[in-house]
Amino acid sequence: MISIFLSHQWKSFWRSRNKAGSIVAQLVLGFFMLYFLAVAIGIGFWMANIIEKISPGVDPIVIFNGFILYYFLFDLAIRIQMQELPTLSIVPYLHLNISRKTIVNFLNVKSLFSIFNILPLFIFIPFSLLNITQSLGGIVALSYVAAILGLTMFNNFFILFIKRKSINNIAYFGVGMVLILGLAVLDYYKVISIRDFSNRIFQLLAEYPYFALVFVAAAVVVFKINSSFLRTNLYTEELSTKDDKKVSTDYPFLNTFGKVGELAALELKLILRHKRSRSSIVMGFLFLAYGLLFYKETLIVNNEFGKMLFAAVFMTGITIITYGQFMFAWQSAHFDGLLVNKIDFKNFIKAKFLLFTIGSTLITILASFYAFISYKLLLLHLVAYLYNIGFGTVLVLFFATNNYKRLDITQSASFNWQGTGATQWILGFPFLLLPILIYLPFGILNKPFWGLATIGLFGLITLLLRNYWISLIVKRFEKQRYKIAEGFRE
Amino acid sequence: MIEVKNLIKSYGGRTVVDIDRLNIRAGETIGLVGNNGAGKTTFFRMLLDLIRPDGGEILSKDINVAKSTQWKDYTASYLDEGFLIDYLTPEEYFIFIGSLNGLSAAHVGDYLKQYEEFFNGEIINRGKYIRDFSKGNQNKVGIAAALMQKPELLVLDEPFANLDPTTQIRLKSLIKTLKNTQRLTTLISSHDLNHVTDVCDRIILLEKGKVIKDFHTDENSLKELEAYFSE
Repeated sequence: MISIFLSHQWKSFWRSRNKAGSIVAQLVLGFFMLYFLAVAIGIGFWMANIIEKISPGVDPIVIFNGFILYYFLFDLAIRIQMQELPTLSIVPYLHLNISRKTIVNFLNVKSLFSIFNILPLFIFIPFSLLNITQSLGGIVALSYVAAILGLTMFNNFFILFIKRKSINNIAYFGVGMVLILGLAVLDYYKVISIRDFSNRIFQLLAEYPYFALVFVAAAVVVFKINSSFLRTNLYTEELSTKDDKKVSTDYPFLNTFGKVGELAALELKLILRHKRSRSSIVMGFLFLAYGLLFYKETLIVNNEFGKMLFAAVFMTGITIITYGQFMFAWQSAHFDGLLVNKIDFKNFIKAKFLLFTIGSTLITILASFYAFISYKLLLLHLVAYLYNIGFGTVLVLFFATNNYKRLDITQSASFNWQGTGATQWILGFPFLLLPILIYLPFGILNKPFWGLATIGLFGLITLLLRNYWISLIVKRFEKQRYKIAEGFRE
Repeated sequence: MIEVKNLIKSYGGRTVVDIDRLNIRAGETIGLVGNNGAGKTTFFRMLLDLIRPDGGEILSKDINVAKSTQWKDYTASYLDEGFLIDYLTPEEYFIFIGSLNGLSAAHVGDYLKQYEEFFNGEIINRGKYIRDFSKGNQNKVGIAAALMQKPELLVLDEPFANLDPTTQIRLKSLIKTLKNTQRLTTLISSHDLNHVTDVCDRIILLEKGKVIKDFHTDENSLKELEAYFSE
């Protein structure tokens, strides 16, 4: 039976409507997976050499031991974000004469086909078999393998359980995240040491190989809990939606902008009420930390803004880029409705400008904490901000009139390439490169502040010309709307 | 009110709509019937300027619908769920549509009171987004939002499908009343011959994009249509 399910899954992939798109997505994904796999195999087989390089003189097994739990904690953090719940595909089978046990087993088996379950095997097992056998004997090596397998399975089913629970109660997700982050922070500030803990556990394992059964037992327990939870809650409605009361909301601030504000409020609701658009906003906040990577002490002291421009434009314009790249397609489900209603296209476009401006302004204000590092960064951000709301918004909206790909915003965001086309990839280049190009001659002539002033001026001028851009985009939108609407209807 | 001239639309070499000449006068209730693929929805989409015709034009009050958006001032329509903004609550949606037509939230509230019977207590204050409603209830929201705009021209694509019997009957009497009180012009497509012959005073039968029959309804219309479709 399970093999029939798997063959149906296989068919559903190959016969899906947007096959070409999903194949490309899978290829890209497959490429990444192969890359990670290659890295994992490399790490696995050369583990001994790598450890030797990084910390010579220390017993490699101690380092290896310390690394194991570290990895699996990190693994949990990644999985909670990325691992998909295999649920919806079972709907057509629920009403048939198939026992719940079979369906639950299918879901469990399917969850095993995940890159997260393969990577640790390649990373840890070669070292266990090669080096640990040599120095500690075959039995200990086997107990290592059992422990690694146990930990992998434990993580797999633990995350599935947490995710399933958090569908009905988001608190589970929150508690899970807080726990993992808490451990990471405690370790970072050396309150506790996960490395020492991990090392101690595995030294214990070397002494008493049967201790590995604890890991296996933990995995089995989580597996059982997960299965029995699934078996008693195998209702699609409980597995996929949560049912709390929805309320109507109003944004008085936006109402001050009249008709444009109403359209902006409509879109703000769209953003806040869908997973995919919400996560693109959350990304924006996460990228606030981007500057910490790019703003190096020496760059700031030497006024080398050219090397920091990328991060500044990216950070202050992230909402424009991530939300704007799928512009209009966010509304593909009700695009016809927008067209037949009495909406002035000018207001429609203006509302987008308004939203972008608000988003970018908000992020720029939040990013002002970089002033603690240097006041120059504030200037840099101001320039990038002007560029973004002046030119970036225009660029994004102009490109949007060439985007005919429907987007299903009810789907989740991670590894979702639906609606992605050449437009999205081309868009990024001029957006991020132009300010650097403008700055380049000033950088060469060693006039950094003049360079910043020029970008700022450029942004300001394009901002002042906004009404001109709006009429330009409206004209283009009017010409393209049939094509856009047709693409969105598919 | 509506004038269609030499309208042609084809997809991949297959002609979907091919109407030489069609006039619709103000106050008429038109039923568009025809099997799947007859071109009913495509015609409606062109009437609402959602699809560009390959040839010909549709004039609404003597103005080409593709050239000017004036028709939007007096036209309301509901073709499918694509017309609904499904992440809003019905209240938010009605208020939004109302605001586009210059109605305040209070006006919209007053208006909706008239339709309490039509909604049957299933739409307002249910604490759900439109996307979480059943198809029939989504239809109700779309139709009510269209009627709220006080249109002179109303375009509905298969409005009776998915509606419960009570609402079907209420919708029919609503259209009849509006025709008499406000001279509402209505275009309805439907597969339900009973409803169409009951509510419409003129039937247009489409086949493969062409107008095959165009007649005013009388007591024999239903039989005539049934005879045509059972051939």
